[in-house]
Amino acid sequence: MYGLEAISANNGWAMALLGITIVFSGLAFLSFFISRLHLFLEFWENKDERIAKLKKRFQKKPEIKKEAPVVKVPDNLQEAMAQFKMLTTRIGDPFSLPRLIEMAEMSGLFHPHSTVNKFIKAGVIEPDGKGFFTWKL
Amino acid sequence: MSTDIQTLKSLDLFSAFSNEELGFLVEIIDPLKVTEGEILTQRGTPATTFFIIISGNFMVSFKNGHAFTLHEKGNVIGWSTVVTPFNYTGTATALTDGEVLTISGDELLRIVQEDAPLAQKFMEKINKVVEERSPFVTGKIAGTSETTDNSEV
Repeated sequence: MYGLEAISANNGWAMALLGITIVFSGLAFLSFFISRLHLFLEFWENKDERIAKLKKRFQKKPEIKKEAPVVKVPDNLQEAMAQFKMLTTRIGDPFSLPRLIEMAEMSGLFHPHSTVNKFIKAGVIEPDGKGFFTWKL
Repeated sequence: MSTDIQTLKSLDLFSAFSNEELGFLVEIIDPLKVTEGEILTQRGTPATTFFIIISGNFMVSFKNGHAFTLHEKGNVIGWSTVVTPFNYTGTATALTDGEVLTISGDELLRIVQEDAPLAQKFMEKINKVVEERSPFVTGKIAGTSETTDNSEV
């Protein structure tokens, strides 16, 4: 058996194809390597600087803590707030707003309704979404 | 002393009303000054007056200590005047001095019963308020996000 028949019978076509693929892959890899060679050389020349840059990139960035929104209480409300807070230590937090006003009235606090309203407007007291209210400070 | 059509037009509650319809309402609406601590409605008593807030801040409280506050112009108090059994479900207290518009419950019911298109527009708004506030009346408000000033109209 000679010629093409012999090639076919002994997997010659497959071997040839494999050989071509290997050679072309090698050449492609080599050409790619050569085309990028200048980058490797450049990296090698400045290796200390490049390594430092890479290290910096992968270092964990310090987390910036988000500060809770600051509720500013006007000075004239500070004292009233302390008095009302004292009342809520007895009824707990979250608390019933009408109960707080009732206790403030019984304690003889000055203008309990409008003071509570000022607390709400200033964001010192907030509704808890369940019908009660809670101190934000 | 009565109020004027322009004031009513500026309120969300009456935004869909025609000038003619507002003309009927103007006749039965009266402004009222309220002072801090004044009680507008008492829970369990017959609902005789419907209130619309023009200015001021109000708290509506319920039997279990639950409450919400109203701060916006156009918020209403006393929807029970047009909903059976016509008894107030909450106690409304003025937190500050302010001004409200008042409508007699009987007059409001008469107009609502006599004028179907007006009644439909009015009850659409009232139903929204009832829907928002009914959890406070029933006491089943766990997990809701009711806030102090989100009660439209």
